[in-house]
Amino acid sequence: MLLVELFTQGLVQGSIYALIALGLTLVYGLLRILHVAHAAFFTLGAYVGILVCNASGSLILGFAAAMAIAGCAGVITYRLAYQPLLDKPPFVALIASIGLYIASEEAFRVFFGAQGISFVDPPLQQQLLLFGTIRLKMAELLVMIGSLAIIFVLSRLQNGTRLGLACQATVSDPQMAESFGISLRLVRDLNFFVGSALAAFAGVWVALLNNLVEPTMGSVPSYKALAIIVLGGLGSVRGTLAAALVLGVVEAYGTIYLGKLLDRNAIAFAFLILVLMVRPQGLFSRR
Amino acid sequence: MLELDSISCGYDAFRAVHGLSLILREGEITGLLGANGAGKSSTLMCVAGHVALQEGRILLNGEDISRLPVARRVHAGIAIAPEGRRLFKDLSVEDNLRIGGLIHPAADFRRDRDRVLDLFPRLAERLPLPAGNLSGGEQQMLAIARALMARPRLIMIDELSLGLMPKVIDLCYQALERLRSEGLAVLLVEQNTERALAVADHICVLESGRTVWTGSAAQARGDATLASAYLGLH
Repeated sequence: MLLVELFTQGLVQGSIYALIALGLTLVYGLLRILHVAHAAFFTLGAYVGILVCNASGSLILGFAAAMAIAGCAGVITYRLAYQPLLDKPPFVALIASIGLYIASEEAFRVFFGAQGISFVDPPLQQQLLLFGTIRLKMAELLVMIGSLAIIFVLSRLQNGTRLGLACQATVSDPQMAESFGISLRLVRDLNFFVGSALAAFAGVWVALLNNLVEPTMGSVPSYKALAIIVLGGLGSVRGTLAAALVLGVVEAYGTIYLGKLLDRNAIAFAFLILVLMVRPQGLFSRR
Repeated sequence: MLELDSISCGYDAFRAVHGLSLILREGEITGLLGANGAGKSSTLMCVAGHVALQEGRILLNGEDISRLPVARRVHAGIAIAPEGRRLFKDLSVEDNLRIGGLIHPAADFRRDRDRVLDLFPRLAERLPLPAGNLSGGEQQMLAIARALMARPRLIMIDELSLGLMPKVIDLCYQALERLRSEGLAVLLVEQNTERALAVADHICVLESGRTVWTGSAAQARGDATLASAYLGLH
């Protein structure tokens, strides 16, 4: 039964990675920029979620505020930091992005303090027993369901609406998309909004699971999400989701069986390095 | 309907086309001929808004559209089937058509789609396939069909016959003649000079970005020096 429980824990962690990595993939597919600062919206979401939930007593309001504020912050970041750099070589935007992330950590420290904040009365902490065998916190169950639901809805919107189609066309060939009347600006704003809102969604869940939000909570997920999108074959949404779940599960098993040798993050990165040595094009790359 | 008033265009310091003047009319096919690198594709991409206009004006029904944003040009009635076709390869044939018609209401899609499928019946069997899986000829048909979904008044087609089998080229040219009879203006870039001379109403020949010959296709067909000097015909 330990195996099944570990697998479940892996999926919980994996769905959080998936939510974060999805936004990175969207940005990479659209602009070919490695958006390191993406993790700042994960942290921002977590702070807003806790603060709003503590103030209002409503977790749903916390989620809504976190996603809306992080989404708008994402669009503003795109307009101010990336848009002016689009005709420069991609490393210029990458450097800007790294700088932004570091600045964001310091900003969180200044505004919210270095020691971190918690929920006054953390919701969704009750223990469940699934199928009589799997012990799970309510929040852990909901993060899996919530991620699945949100990814399902997004993929339906992507494939079933004209706006989704316009996004796909823009990823495929921006110039031609523009020639058929698609506003690149609208598509890019939308992608930054959705990607950042997803990161914030993940941030609030992590806040719930750990009952702690710190200025630096985004740094490790940020590196991991970068590695995940490479593993998923850069720009492929399906590959990213699969890679995120695989990494979550590998981490969960690794922590138990290799825990004496390596810590959780070391296991994750050792796995990523190994895979990329064998398949530098990523696990799920088409080319 | 579209007038190029001594336009020059290119990238940064590089000038691909110098002072080209051309008038395109509804129901006429204009063939833009010349060797590789003569500036034919740059001209098309400049009208589409992707290559910078450095001098001159582009007039649409007398209105200056030189500064019109790219995404607005399709609303003005200009559509392009570009060099290399540039389909949305991972998307289905049907979705490619849908994007072509994105500026029109969703309710019109079925009618517009059936209209272009009537022109290229072969695409009807391919609707659910990814565009990248089509044969070269089918891809060219789809590129033209996608442009037609925008219901343009001017369609620009780059290298219509490049890499295609003669039978497919016949099909495409038949479609072109039908579009002309329906009143569309066509700006056609061709390497296949004989084909272009046979179908076009007007011919413009570029060499190194400069216009070296312009006139009716009938004149062009009768001009022996033109044929040997610029078009490699004997």
